[in-house]
Amino acid sequence: MDLRLKGLKVAVTGGTRGIGNAIVHLLADEGCDIATCGRAPERIDAVARDVAAAGVRFHGETVQGRDGDAMRQWVRNSIKALGGLDIFVASLSAGGGSDEERYWYRNFEIDLMSAVRGVEEALPTLRQSQNPSILILGTMAASETFVAPMAYNAIKAALITWSKQLSQQLAPEGIRVNCLSPGPTMFKGSNWEMIRVARSRIYDNAVRQQPTRRMGTAEEIAKAAVFLASPAASWCNGAHLLVDGGYSKRVSF
Amino acid sequence: MSVERIKPTDFTLTPAAPAPRPNFDNEMIPKHRYVSADYMRLEWERMWTKVWLLGCREEDIANPGDYLVTTIGKEEIILVRQKDMSVRGFYNVCLHRGNRIMVGEGNATSFKCQYHFWEYGIDGEFENIPDLETFPQGAPPCKGLREVKCDTWNSFVWFNMDPDACSLQEYLDPLQQHLEPYHFDRMVKVSDMTVEWDCNWKTSVDAFNESYHVQGIHPELLYFIEDKDVQIDCYGRHNRYLVPFSTISHRVEETTEIPHLIKHAMKEAGMNPADFDGRVTEVRKALQDFKRKHGPEMGLDYSDLNDDQLTDDYHYNIFPNLTLNTHADDLMLFRQRPHPTDPNKMFFDIFIFKLLKKDEPRPKKPRHEQFRHGEKSLGLVLDQDAYNLPGVQAGMNSDSFDGLWIGDQELRIRHFHHVLASYVGS
Repeated sequence: MDLRLKGLKVAVTGGTRGIGNAIVHLLADEGCDIATCGRAPERIDAVARDVAAAGVRFHGETVQGRDGDAMRQWVRNSIKALGGLDIFVASLSAGGGSDEERYWYRNFEIDLMSAVRGVEEALPTLRQSQNPSILILGTMAASETFVAPMAYNAIKAALITWSKQLSQQLAPEGIRVNCLSPGPTMFKGSNWEMIRVARSRIYDNAVRQQPTRRMGTAEEIAKAAVFLASPAASWCNGAHLLVDGGYSKRVSF
Repeated sequence: MSVERIKPTDFTLTPAAPAPRPNFDNEMIPKHRYVSADYMRLEWERMWTKVWLLGCREEDIANPGDYLVTTIGKEEIILVRQKDMSVRGFYNVCLHRGNRIMVGEGNATSFKCQYHFWEYGIDGEFENIPDLETFPQGAPPCKGLREVKCDTWNSFVWFNMDPDACSLQEYLDPLQQHLEPYHFDRMVKVSDMTVEWDCNWKTSVDAFNESYHVQGIHPELLYFIEDKDVQIDCYGRHNRYLVPFSTISHRVEETTEIPHLIKHAMKEAGMNPADFDGRVTEVRKALQDFKRKHGPEMGLDYSDLNDDQLTDDYHYNIFPNLTLNTHADDLMLFRQRPHPTDPNKMFFDIFIFKLLKKDEPRPKKPRHEQFRHGEKSLGLVLDQDAYNLPGVQAGMNSDSFDGLWIGDQELRIRHFHHVLASYVGS
């Protein structure tokens, strides 16, 4: 199947690590020009090297996701550097945290508002694309009770709801909006890698509920993500795809 | 990834620069030092009875007449506050028939043996010998209880059974300069426990003198401390290492989420991890800056400590048997004591002291608890050590084991044995 991604221009928030990084790699392999942002300059450099090997254009910047102006500026810079934009992927997340009110503000700014701001900045350019699409990364933890009641789970739920309504608004313009919610995912440097060592009971509990007794890999999430974002998924719009290896037990009628 | 440490020009009272590296050989450390009853006897004759030993805390015997009985090997020593507020120590042995006189701790106006009521003043001198006229030879020719050398330093009471011993100050040198900036006298005791462990006392000392075992025994600490880029310094009898805390080991990958132990350290200092936008490897320095800035308003005086001391573990071994995890806000002091007769057994004392915030109510003095290994949790990290040690001791007793094969990360163990051998012989 041809995903028809070759030559498209994609901006991915949080593409220096984990799932975002796997998405960047797959898109570059498919021939997309890539823009991404993250906190660590050395990771941006590493992505630049990897992407260069695929022979596509790259723009990377260090951005603190809480900084709204910086996030908007990165989108503008990316559009300029790539000479347009076809696909926007919001993958940036602050991760979990509980017992502090301030986590609500943290997840609000970094998980929710970085996506909202990025999409707002991207929209005028997406409207000019022949194959525009937006992909929002949610989490299985928004629709399934998971670890603890916390801001991360609930703010991600807001993100999922917003992405659905955005899809209705933008569909007449030919811009598809989809959402992908990964289950627990393991990769080098993942929070789960830390939790497996540092809080093994939480890890064991999560893996026990996974029918295959393992967590997903970033590549397994990325493959579904890249399909949803690609022109090959032309009839997928407003979809919320759980990619969790069967972790969630509810029946999604 | 190397850890950033304070620069030579930065403020510090505790010496922070690396000490010259001692030039030891790489010989195997013979195992008989851990398992042999003969070596244990030599340790007693040549070392335990010659070195300065920690007896108690000054606050344990705050008022005249307050006493505490401390045990080392076969000996018991009564440490007692005098009327002039000095501290003296006496063997807890009645000169009549050898009975133990005092038990535990308390306040006394005299020390009275319950066997025949021989009575001594808190200065150790005979006060009353019932029916003295029935002793044709009179009272023993000495003035009273046999005394041991006693002195105090940095809120602790020390004793030495060797009448010819050097002074405590000379013995501790140069650690006064290292440890006085922590002002242990401003801390209060919050935990006081003794656990009986099935291992030699040195097996326990060793376990705290290297961080090489962290990956095996304390894997969760890989997300709280740097376990390999550790500065090791040896000084005369004593040694230390400086372990960066509130950071991650170079053995693991940096995560986006701050590991929970680091979050805990931030919250303890009043720093909200949810508002920290830096990377995990940037927390340590930020936490140092935060504590420096906000310590005074919380009533915490860190003015004599350098920046690294605000987060890190300055970890000392005071020869032979004291392990000090010194931190800006607490001191975890471990004392390893030998069993009187069995080289495969020991007593592990845990004393935890905490720096109080301004207006923080002084907690009630903890009761001393004593129990066998496994009867009670010591907290995750110490439990991990405790569950491992009997296996180490058992393995050392095997005919297949010849001795300890020590690497550079275990330099403190080699230094400790160098000092041990200088007292006891090899």
